[in-house]
Amino acid sequence: MDILVISLVALMGLYMAWNIGANDVANSMAGAVGSKSLSIKKAVILAGLCEFAGAVLVGSHVTDTVRKGIVDPTVLASMPGLQPGEPAALIVIGMTAALLSAAFWLHFSSATGMPVSTTHSIVGAVAGFGVVAAGVNAVNWGKMTQIVASWFISPIAGGILAFIFFKFIIKFILGQERPAKAAVYFVPVIVFMVSAILILATVYKGLKHVIGDLPWLTDGVTMTIALAVSLMFGIISHFGLKRSLHGKDQLPISEQLEEVEKIFVPLVIISSCSVAFAHGANDVANSVGPLAAVVHIIQTGTIEMKVGVPFWILALGGGGIVLGLATYGYKVMHTVGTKITELTPSRGVAADIAATATVLVCTRMSLPVSTTHTLVGAIMGIGLARGLTGIDRAVARKIFTSWIVTVPAAAILSMILFVIGRSLFLDQVVSLIKITSG
Amino acid sequence: MSIIQDLFSGSPFGPLVEHTKKVHECVEVVRPLMEALAHENYIEIDNLQDRISKLEYEADLLKQEIRSRLPRRFFLPVDRNELDSFLRCQDKIADKVEDLAVILTLRKTKIHNSLSDGFFEFVEQIFQVTGSLLQAAVELNNLAEVSFGGAESQVVLDIIDGLGEEEWRADRMARKLSKKIYSLENEVPPIDIIFYEKILLALGSIANEAENAGDMLRMMIVK
Repeated sequence: MDILVISLVALMGLYMAWNIGANDVANSMAGAVGSKSLSIKKAVILAGLCEFAGAVLVGSHVTDTVRKGIVDPTVLASMPGLQPGEPAALIVIGMTAALLSAAFWLHFSSATGMPVSTTHSIVGAVAGFGVVAAGVNAVNWGKMTQIVASWFISPIAGGILAFIFFKFIIKFILGQERPAKAAVYFVPVIVFMVSAILILATVYKGLKHVIGDLPWLTDGVTMTIALAVSLMFGIISHFGLKRSLHGKDQLPISEQLEEVEKIFVPLVIISSCSVAFAHGANDVANSVGPLAAVVHIIQTGTIEMKVGVPFWILALGGGGIVLGLATYGYKVMHTVGTKITELTPSRGVAADIAATATVLVCTRMSLPVSTTHTLVGAIMGIGLARGLTGIDRAVARKIFTSWIVTVPAAAILSMILFVIGRSLFLDQVVSLIKITSG
Repeated sequence: MSIIQDLFSGSPFGPLVEHTKKVHECVEVVRPLMEALAHENYIEIDNLQDRISKLEYEADLLKQEIRSRLPRRFFLPVDRNELDSFLRCQDKIADKVEDLAVILTLRKTKIHNSLSDGFFEFVEQIFQVTGSLLQAAVELNNLAEVSFGGAESQVVLDIIDGLGEEEWRADRMARKLSKKIYSLENEVPPIDIIFYEKILLALGSIANEAENAGDMLRMMIVK
């Protein structure tokens, strides 16, 4: 019986992950695909790999937060008038309702063309269940405020960072009298930054999940390793560029600009992959967080503040994302690749680095932000730096509207599903939990 | 449905460069037009006028396409109004070429021998001006690549500075030519004089509009 319930909830988690893969992943590769640095097919394969790796290696950090941070299970457990086993059952039903309503909302809104964030949907849905199940006080409004504030801050931070990165590229490389010569000295700086962000993201957070805690791998050591290795990459790229761009600084300036953009092609591929990686790390929690809670409660019968996310659940989330990408997301990728014509590799790199850095910092601070919206902010930052030929400002309004609509919509949907679930299945779930825990 | 893809609107600079080239094609008909006049080949003038009017129509289509890419909600790297003014100046260049062609079809005017060289020199000077404009404006895509800054935009600004100087030369030439036209008042019929003056003014305004377009381009770049 418990296997049946777990499979059912797992299926919902898979559906949620499918939604993420179908709608969101293409955006994370926009830098590489939009600048035509990567064919659609290769982009789909690379995105799948990076999303999966991100989900499995870095994923679990946010997973706890979404669940634990928004609704405090201890408030639910200490509510008067509940039979033993009922609080646990309520969380099982609530998380399932949240998962399902977030997935429904996501499916509905992407079908109607609204840019809804998976993160925002699940946050709204979990909060909705919390309010109905245990009253307004069960929701950690301080945390909620922090999370909502981070939705505003992350696109703005992404925009500012992208603005600065892009200005750097213009000032020191593209705007120089001989861009091909300047690139030999300043592209390595960008190589250094891309590599440092990537290494920090993987080593710092990923390795701990895979090979366990390494006592010698302190923050300081990690930082030193990342900087040293990145410095090495930077120096290697300098000598590589010196050879490949040799003599090209005598070409007419427009041809030099083309040559320099070509130098950015591998960089934009790597940085787009890092966005996909960060996206996987960030968004897998949205699908597997509630699932992990349900599985833990059913298997142990106890409500804890923190549960480990088993590998199979992360793999399921990652797999679901890849599945969504393979069955539907590739179409979105195709439209992104054909409709965006103004993005050049240098712009792509600037936007990608800014978005990755912002998302990783937010993830580190346990703030679930939207990767896509951060990337949108980063691209707008480049537009502000006069770097793009046309940016539709209406998108900013659309995103803003979606913020305002998503949380209440997902919350209400989740409330309804929870109330239905409670009236239909409460006793079954209680007995199920008693059986397994006894 | 992808939000990132919605973010990007079509670039106006591609069609803008096309428009510049189309307008320049119009200007290139000026020389055959004047040659046909010198050879008193009035049928050819009619044909050329048709060609200009066709080119002008094509330029108009491009203009509409560019304007359709400029709704207020789009965020552009250049000022929207300046871009539109630039477009309007280029449009006027084509208009002035058409004006010239129409003037030439109105009456079978003969160019006086003593004016022929002056007119052709003047036409060459006008090409200097419009040629500089073309040279600067076709760089728009590259300018967008360097976000309208740095060394590349300095190159374009220098071309525009040169354009102003060429236009000043054209002005001086026009004045000299004008004096020459009026010095013929006792030799040729007054109506001829009027037509010479009209042709001269039409030619001059081509260079004039090209200079205005250059100024607008400069304003777009320095923002």
